[in-house]
Amino acid sequence: MVFGLLLSVIAGSLVGLQNIFNSKVSEHAGSWATTALVLGTGFAASLLLGLAFEGKEMFVLHNMQLWYWFSGVIGVGVVISLVNGIRLLGPTLGVSLVLSSQLGFALLWDSLGWLGLERVPFTPTKLIGVLVIAGGIVLFKWSGARVYAKATETV
Amino acid sequence: MKGILFALLGGALITLQGVANSRISQDIGTWQAAALTQFTGFVTALLILLVIRDGKWQGFGRVKPLYWIGGAFAAVIIYGNVTAIHHMGVTFTIAAVLIAQLCLTYWIDVSGWFGVTKQTIRMPQLVGIGMMIAGVVILTF
Repeated sequence: MVFGLLLSVIAGSLVGLQNIFNSKVSEHAGSWATTALVLGTGFAASLLLGLAFEGKEMFVLHNMQLWYWFSGVIGVGVVISLVNGIRLLGPTLGVSLVLSSQLGFALLWDSLGWLGLERVPFTPTKLIGVLVIAGGIVLFKWSGARVYAKATETV
Repeated sequence: MKGILFALLGGALITLQGVANSRISQDIGTWQAAALTQFTGFVTALLILLVIRDGKWQGFGRVKPLYWIGGAFAAVIIYGNVTAIHHMGVTFTIAAVLIAQLCLTYWIDVSGWFGVTKQTIRMPQLVGIGMMIAGVVILTF
């Protein structure tokens, strides 16, 4: 639990930092060139770290399923959805909705246990927890929006 | 209405990405999953870029080189995300990731680092962060 929490905090901090860096690139290079750059450097870094930790094992892909080859396309769907959602709704409402939707679907996936993940049974307490977090996100984004004329962030 | 659908779909796909990576990593390993999914995503984005040819990529030169490497963080992000999902489930992981993300962005906004427009600390925003943390505590009950 503590280990998982620590990893989540590290991952989340890096997501925040990455979003700032990416939006700087995107201002000049557009969203598709930025997406290609971001995924390309991400691939290179993952390959290097994988080689460093696992050596030749990095190239052994056990039980490879056909759909694994297409999972990267989800990332492209993410970019299309975020760019259009934020363009149509503005950064405050757009980002609040994206983050809340992320949480809602997380609860759904845990409850259903799709894709062979361990099922975490749904309880009303979990729904309350998710709603309180979503409320916090909306309050946080809204009260920040008044001083935030410039779209310096994406998500 | 269309904007709302895009935003909801975007959130769903971000979560799906984490879930799919977790599933794939069970078979081929975590670094392998991170490398594979970003490689295929990279190829797809490159193809789209070739089709739309907006020529905007030439703007890379006007960006500080430091900002080019943001994508490289994803290796650690995906590793952390996947491992955390295996340890404590999707909901808890996504919630903790979001809060850390918003807190760090807020800290950078308040400090005015990386040339972002400096923000003052506002009470409602602190209450918002407090609510998010309270929500995560509720999830553990």
